[in-house]
Amino acid sequence: MNALISLRGIRKSFGTSEVLHGIDLDVYPGSHTVIFGPSGSGKSTVLRSMNLLEEPTEGSVVFEGVEYGPGIPGDATPRGKKIDLRRQVGMVFQQFNLFPHLSAIDNIALSVHAVTGKSKDEALERAAQELKNVGLLKWAMNYPAQLSGGQQQRVAIARALSLDPKLMLFDEPTSALDPELVGEVLAVMRKLAETGMTMVVVTHEMGFAKEIGDQCIFMDQGYIADSGGADFFDTCTNKRTKEFIGSVL
Amino acid sequence: MEETPRLNFMWHLVWDFRAELLRGLLTAFEVAITALILSLFVGLLFALMKMSRFALWRGIASTYVNVFRGIPALVSVVWVYFGWSLLFGYNFTVYQAGVIALTLLYSSFFAEIFRSALEAVHKGQREAGQALGMSRLRIFRSIVMPQALKIAIPNIGSMYIGMIKDTSTFTVIGLAELVFVMQSINAEYFQPFVLFTAAAGLYVAAAFLVDFVFRIVEGGLSYPKVGRVKRFLTRRKRAQIQRLVEAN
Ligand SMILES: Nc1ncnc2c1ncn2[C@@H]1O[C@H](COP(=O)(O)OP(=O)(O)O)[C@@H](O)[C@H]1O
Ligand SMILES: [Mg+2]
Repeated sequence: MNALISLRGIRKSFGTSEVLHGIDLDVYPGSHTVIFGPSGSGKSTVLRSMNLLEEPTEGSVVFEGVEYGPGIPGDATPRGKKIDLRRQVGMVFQQFNLFPHLSAIDNIALSVHAVTGKSKDEALERAAQELKNVGLLKWAMNYPAQLSGGQQQRVAIARALSLDPKLMLFDEPTSALDPELVGEVLAVMRKLAETGMTMVVVTHEMGFAKEIGDQCIFMDQGYIADSGGADFFDTCTNKRTKEFIGSVL
Repeated sequence: MEETPRLNFMWHLVWDFRAELLRGLLTAFEVAITALILSLFVGLLFALMKMSRFALWRGIASTYVNVFRGIPALVSVVWVYFGWSLLFGYNFTVYQAGVIALTLLYSSFFAEIFRSALEAVHKGQREAGQALGMSRLRIFRSIVMPQALKIAIPNIGSMYIGMIKDTSTFTVIGLAELVFVMQSINAEYFQPFVLFTAAAGLYVAAAFLVDFVFRIVEGGLSYPKVGRVKRFLTRRKRAQIQRLVEAN
């Protein structure tokens, strides 16, 4: 089976300091990759290079066979356009990033209308369905400021899903939430995982990572320091990984 | 023998010439609003240039802003009205000269106002739009600009009050605005205290009116949406969403 998305030799520098030192990663259709590791180890940067929100300094993102990003010097493979990649990849942010000037339903409807070109009425209908799927249809007309953090994140997930992405990226989706609100967001993500959506999740929720992860990545200082399959948390032997898992649990 | 009071305030002049005075004020409003609309566009353009990746654009915009915000409206209007005709043989009407002078001055203020408002929009907002696959234009138009405009609107209101006041200097080129009208009445009756008190009153009233209007606009741009006007304007949309909520 071909990978849905592959990172090939991704390097990223901010100014003179390199924060990713060559990342290679394959994500297969329907799989759930979880990424964890200490703060500043480059998890967000890896995730953000998957939709080129962070343009790598070197290396390629290959999505369904099409190469994006700068590649390696001398490589002349034709590159795809960023916007085409982004239209197939959904992203959920730690800080939700809902549009504060639009109601929940309009956050979604604007995205559908702007990206797919569907009429405003069709976009609203689609938005209503997506809100229903995350259990927030009743809150359709509320503005982000009138929703709890957990509800905002569920709207953000619904917004990303409304564009029928083939891959969903989550960057610490529950880290900004009060503990009692974490569960409702994880429940939505769990349901999504069960539908077979391909997901890459950066998270510190080790229980959840263990539950859905079938590819587990431990990042440290800009490298993939350790990785494994679904049984990773029980079988890993790397001292640094075990230390980290121990410190988070 | 009739006794004449030493101080004879002819307050009735204000009432007698009410039509002329109001027309003067209206002219001031008109010149200022035309210039406001132009300055908003020009200002936004320069704000975007200031935020450009290209040093050349940034340099042009900074130069423009630094030059024109330093030139008083009075100097600018004389330069546009007389200078332009001397240099290029083209004669602007007094109305056009006033609009151009105000636009040169205020677009440089608006460039700064828009730049700081655009920068105040959280960068996660642009990123969310990019991650969804929206075009740059769409992100600007539907996400960044509405939020920036809400931030900028109180400052735009203050600037507009300044623009109305600055029209008073256009008396020098003979624009028939409020002060010009005052001075022609004064030339006949010599009642400077009465007339300039009336002018001050009218300018203050104008400022209150502008402030009031901009507060309504600000309310319209605020979110969550509140207020009767807003509810009325969005009633169709709300009914549509209500139907969707009930149908699902
Ligand atoms: N926009 C940026 N400019 C400069 N340095 C950055 C930027 N984004 C991230 N970094 C640096 O890159 C490193 C990795 O960051 P990040 O990917 O956010 O780590 P993580 O998500 O694992 O906490 C950190 O040292 C961080 O300071
Ligand atoms: Mg991070």
